[in-house]
Amino acid sequence: MTAQTVQQGELVTVIGLEVHVQLETETKIFCGCSTGDADEPNEHVCPVCLGLPGALPVVNEAAVEAAVKIGKAIDAEIPQETRFHRKNYYYPDLPKNFQITQYDEPICQSGELEVRVEGERRPIEIERAHLEEDPGSLQHVGGGGGIDSAEYTLIDYNRAGTPLMEIVTAPDFRSPAEVRAFLAELEEVLEYLGVFDAERDGSLRVDANLSIVEAAEADENGELSTEALESANRTEVKNISSHKGAEKALAYEETRQKNAIQRGRVVEQETRHWDESRGITVSMRSKAEEKDYRYFEEADIPPLQVAHWREEIEIPELPRARRERFREEYALDEEAASKLTSTKQVADFYEDLASEFDPDLAATWVADELLGELNYRDMAITELEDRLDEVARLVELVATDEITAKNAKEIVLRTMLDEGAAPDAIVEAEGLGKTDEGEVQAAVEAAIADNPDAVADYAEGDDGAINFLVGQVMQATGGSADPGTVNQLLRAELDD
Amino acid sequence: MSEDAVTEKDVRHVASLARVALADDEVDRFTTQFEEILDAFETLEEVPSVDRSAELTNVLRPDEKRDSLSPEEALENAPETEEGRFKGPNVS
Repeated sequence: MTAQTVQQGELVTVIGLEVHVQLETETKIFCGCSTGDADEPNEHVCPVCLGLPGALPVVNEAAVEAAVKIGKAIDAEIPQETRFHRKNYYYPDLPKNFQITQYDEPICQSGELEVRVEGERRPIEIERAHLEEDPGSLQHVGGGGGIDSAEYTLIDYNRAGTPLMEIVTAPDFRSPAEVRAFLAELEEVLEYLGVFDAERDGSLRVDANLSIVEAAEADENGELSTEALESANRTEVKNISSHKGAEKALAYEETRQKNAIQRGRVVEQETRHWDESRGITVSMRSKAEEKDYRYFEEADIPPLQVAHWREEIEIPELPRARRERFREEYALDEEAASKLTSTKQVADFYEDLASEFDPDLAATWVADELLGELNYRDMAITELEDRLDEVARLVELVATDEITAKNAKEIVLRTMLDEGAAPDAIVEAEGLGKTDEGEVQAAVEAAIADNPDAVADYAEGDDGAINFLVGQVMQATGGSADPGTVNQLLRAELDD
Repeated sequence: MSEDAVTEKDVRHVASLARVALADDEVDRFTTQFEEILDAFETLEEVPSVDRSAELTNVLRPDEKRDSLSPEEALENAPETEEGRFKGPNVS
């Protein structure tokens, strides 16, 4: 947006994020307790994660490796030395009365991640990303079920100590849609790295700062000055747990603030809670300021010097690079390349197919047919993990012309997904093997003999009449003939 | 002496962060005590600073599971429990 085009009173939305992601490790960040699903509350706990006196936290190497991988993926700097701090607050989700986190020397500094919204690419600056421990889970019991009216609190520390990475962006977002696109891209990258599981409940949690500033404050490049950003009152929206939720929560908050400004009211600088079920944000009692957390160095954990790991640790090809390679190597359009790289598993499967069959056919089958049918059934490709060879066999049946594409999709693929049968068995049971040429030729001749009116129409130049005849042949062959071939055969006969 | 005297307001703020309720006479008492404690710590300013041992870095453990406590052991010292969880007052 240029300054000249700005209308008086036009408003710009400014959003920055703090994204918390759970890292996929076997054990917690500072102790050997499992991070897996527990059967019972307080089953994966020990003196360290319960904060018992005398317990000594020792950093999990895998969590640090995951952090370095993330740093590499977002082009961040891994400083020569990084250390942990205690963030002091009294709340029973952490039994020590402090959280071990990182303060002024985080493990990742100044990275970026590019987002694509409506065909436009924009880099989002990532100011920092740091390691910390997840708190435990609280249940507020009794009263109206809300936090304020609850009678008492029940605490389960199974989650306490799960490694978290907190990723903090600059206030670079200009719309809730951009936030959603960023979170989706970030999840993809993290999944490619194998350090994150999006399916896991509560694995992604987002706090967002949103403010509204006058568009006139922007310079000719559309950049907003630091003063303009700092002078606007912002709200911090907490309790967002998905990318869809982020878009909804921030769209609500954007409208709420714009309405206040347009009515001449001042937006309060405050923390607000996203209430997913009601679809609104509500004011929370004001929380402590940064100095109230009395950060100080965690003396139990010596500093880390892992800058050299950045070169030593390998990371796989990332979604964006893979998308670009797919477009070049397999001549795919942007949409197909994007679908085919949406998860590492989809991309790997596509490449397997593309190495054996026509890449275009493989692309159609994975991006459109398979993902389409899975999406319709609300299934993920991970649920088909053990049956991908069956899908490959189905593509082979189409590639080698043994069944029609229409039957392959509408009958075989759907039956495979709904009933769990294998492709060859379905082809056999449904009699879908392509009709042999003689049979099709006979059906073509019969259709011409039986439908003199259509033949006459065709002869008079009504090209639509051919479709009617194709339909007759398809019906006669039970749909097993290839419509393209039938069309050619009909024209060959009629044009003689 | 510390440059900024501890005020009653400071004491009430620290107490609220620690979620401790103080009676008015306790606030007076703690204001004096905070002053004394801070004065005592000022003595540490006289201790020369030394760098920590440079060799001690990257103290890490492999990502391998160790035995956890049983839920019974974990809850053993809890004043109140319910359904295998620690039970405490409402904390809004």
